[in-house]
Amino acid sequence: MIDVLTALFNLLIYPGLLFISILGLVYEWVDRKAVARFQNRMGPFHTGPRGFLQPLADFIKLMAKEDITPAWADKILFAAAPLFAIVIPTFATLYIPIAGKPVLPPFEGDLILIISLTTFFTITAFIAGWSSMNRFSTIGAIRAGLQLLAFEIPMFIAVASVAMSANSLCITTIAQKQIFEIQLAGTTYKILLPYALLQPLGFAVFLIALQAELERVPFDIPEAESEIVAGWLTEFSGKKLAFLRLSSDIRLVLGTALATAIFLGGGNGPILPPIIWFLIKATIIVIISAMLRALFARIRIDQLVIGAWKYLIPLSLVQLVFTKLLMVVM
Amino acid sequence: MEFRTWVQGIFLVERICGICNTPHTTCYVLTVEELYGVEAPPRAQYIRTIINELNRIHSHLLWVGVLGMEIGFWSYFMYIWRDRERVMDVVELITGNRVTTSAMLIGGVAYDITPEMEGPIRRAMDYLEERTKFYKKVFETDPTIRARTQDVGVLPTSVAIDLCAVGPTARGSDVKSDVRVDEPYCAYGEVPFNLVTYPTCDVWARAMVRIDEVLESINIIRGCLDKMPSGPIKLRLPRVPPPGEAMNRVEAPRGELLHYCKSDGKEKPYRFKARTPTLANIPALCEMLKGYYIADIPAIISSIDPCYCCTERLIFRDINSGKIWTMSYDELRRYSLKWYKGNGGRRN
Repeated sequence: MIDVLTALFNLLIYPGLLFISILGLVYEWVDRKAVARFQNRMGPFHTGPRGFLQPLADFIKLMAKEDITPAWADKILFAAAPLFAIVIPTFATLYIPIAGKPVLPPFEGDLILIISLTTFFTITAFIAGWSSMNRFSTIGAIRAGLQLLAFEIPMFIAVASVAMSANSLCITTIAQKQIFEIQLAGTTYKILLPYALLQPLGFAVFLIALQAELERVPFDIPEAESEIVAGWLTEFSGKKLAFLRLSSDIRLVLGTALATAIFLGGGNGPILPPIIWFLIKATIIVIISAMLRALFARIRIDQLVIGAWKYLIPLSLVQLVFTKLLMVVM
Repeated sequence: MEFRTWVQGIFLVERICGICNTPHTTCYVLTVEELYGVEAPPRAQYIRTIINELNRIHSHLLWVGVLGMEIGFWSYFMYIWRDRERVMDVVELITGNRVTTSAMLIGGVAYDITPEMEGPIRRAMDYLEERTKFYKKVFETDPTIRARTQDVGVLPTSVAIDLCAVGPTARGSDVKSDVRVDEPYCAYGEVPFNLVTYPTCDVWARAMVRIDEVLESINIIRGCLDKMPSGPIKLRLPRVPPPGEAMNRVEAPRGELLHYCKSDGKEKPYRFKARTPTLANIPALCEMLKGYYIADIPAIISSIDPCYCCTERLIFRDINSGKIWTMSYDELRRYSLKWYKGNGGRRN
C-alpha cells in the first residue's frame, strides 16, 4: 500500500507532474527575467516577489479567457493538439533523473525514446497548425516541419557521441558515468568530469539545436510574430493557448534537464543533494539559452536549414569521429 | 481644413502624423508665410531647424529599433528605444512636449532656445552620437542582421528614379535627392552637412542611410547652436493672408513632404492639400517586394518607414474590367466575414 502511495506521490506530485509544471513556470520566470536584464528592462515585476508569480498569473488569466474554435478547423485535431503538446514533453521528462533517480524506471534505450518523443512534439505542432485551417497557421506548421530537418540530426549526432562515450543508451547511466575515480596517494577520489568539458563541440551543437527545438530566437521561425502573426499558434485562444504555453515551459524543462543529465553530470555534485545540483545546472542552461535569445536576430528558414547542414552537422560529426578516435587510442 | 481658420490649421496638420508632426507644421507655416510674402526672423529659422532635426533623430532611431523588431532582434529594439528617450527629453526641454511639439507659428516659433538650454542639448547630442556610432557598428557587423537585411528588397537606382522614390528610400538606392540640399529652407542653407547615400540598394542600405542621417542631424544641431543669431523669434501678421496660392516642400524623416495652400482672402483656406512621403514611396515598395520570401516582407515594408495614418486611402481596382471603387471600414469588415464564411475552409 505504501509502495503504491509513494509511486503515486512520485508520479503526480514530486518529482512528477506537479513539480515539472511548477518548474516550467519558474523557468519561464527565470528566462523572462534574464532576457529582460540582458535587454536593460525590468521584466515581470508586479505579481509576487520580483514578479515571480507572473507566469502562473498569465496561465490562470488565459484559462479564464474565451476559447474560440475557427469555423472551418478540424475540431477533433484542433482540440487534441494542446493535449498532445502537454502529454509528450511531460512523459519524456519523467525518464530524466531530476531528483536523483527518474520517476519511471529507467531502461537501456530511454535516451532513444526521449529524443524520438521530441520529434513527435514537432509533429504535434504541425498538426496544431494544419488543423486550424488558417493561412498563417499553415505556414507556421510547414516551417515547424522544415525546422525539424535542420535541428534534429545535429542534435541526435551530438547525443550519439555522448552515448558512445558512456557506452550506454540509458540517461541515468550516462549521468552516473561522468564520475571518474582517481587513485591518488592510496585514497580514491571521485571527481565529476562532465561531458560538456570532454566534448565541448557536441555540447555547443546541442545547445544551438535545443534553441531551435524550443522555438526560441534566433530560431523562433515557426511562430515568428512579425511575419506570420503567431505561426502555428495563431488560432489558439483561452484554455488551449494556456496549455500550449505551459507545454512550451515544460519543453524548456525537458530540454534543459536532458542537457544537464547527459552533458553536465545530472545531479552529481559535492555536499548538496542531487535535486539542488540538478536545478542549479539546469538554471545555468536556461540562462545561457536566454542569452542566446537576447543576442541574435531571427534568421530565415532557408538560412537555418542551410546553416544547419553546412555547419552544425559537420561539427557534430567531427565530435563523433574525435570521440571514437579517443576511445580507440585509450 | 477648409472649415478652420489659418491658425487652427497648424494644429490640424500637426496631427496628420504623430511621429513626423514637426515637418508637417514647418511645411504648412512656410507655405502660409509664402502667401503672406514674408519670411520668419533668422533666429526662428534656426530654432525650426533644430526642432526638425530633433524630430528626425527621434523618428530615425524609432525606425531602426522597429526594423530590429521586425527581424526578431528584440534587444536592438529595447536598447535603441531606451536611448531615444534622451531626444524626447531634449524636445520636452525646448517645447514642453515630448512628441507633438506645437512649436511652429505662422511667422515664427512659439518657444525660444535660451542659453541655459544649450548645455543639456549639447550633452544629449554627445551621448547620442556615441550610442548611434555603437548601433551603426552593430548593424554593420552582426551576422544575423546582415543575413536578414542584405540583398533583400533591392530597388535599383534607375527604378527608384522612375518610380519617384523619396527620402531615405531613394538615398538607399544611391539617388542624391534631399530637399534640404536641393532647395534649402529654414537654416539648412547655412549649416554644412553631408547628403548620405548608399549604393547597395537593399534594406541594409536604407537602414544605414538613416543611422548616418542621425549622426548628420546631430552635427546640424551643433552647427545651429554655434551659429544661432539673436533677434526676435516671431512676427506679428494680420490674421488673414492675401489671396493667392503657394506650394512648399520639406524633407520629413520619411522623405519629401509637400503642402499646397490656396487663399481667397477669407479667414479660412480655400484649398489645402498634403502629399506625404509614404504615398510617394508605395510604388517603389511594390517593386521591392517582388521575388522575396514571406519572411522578408516585414523588413521590406518597414524599410520605406511606412506611416499608414498619413496614407489612409484605399482604392480597389478590378484589373480585368478596369472598375475602380472605394470601401469604408465597415464594408471591408462585412466583406471579410462574408469571404470567410463563403470560402468553405479552403486554404488559399
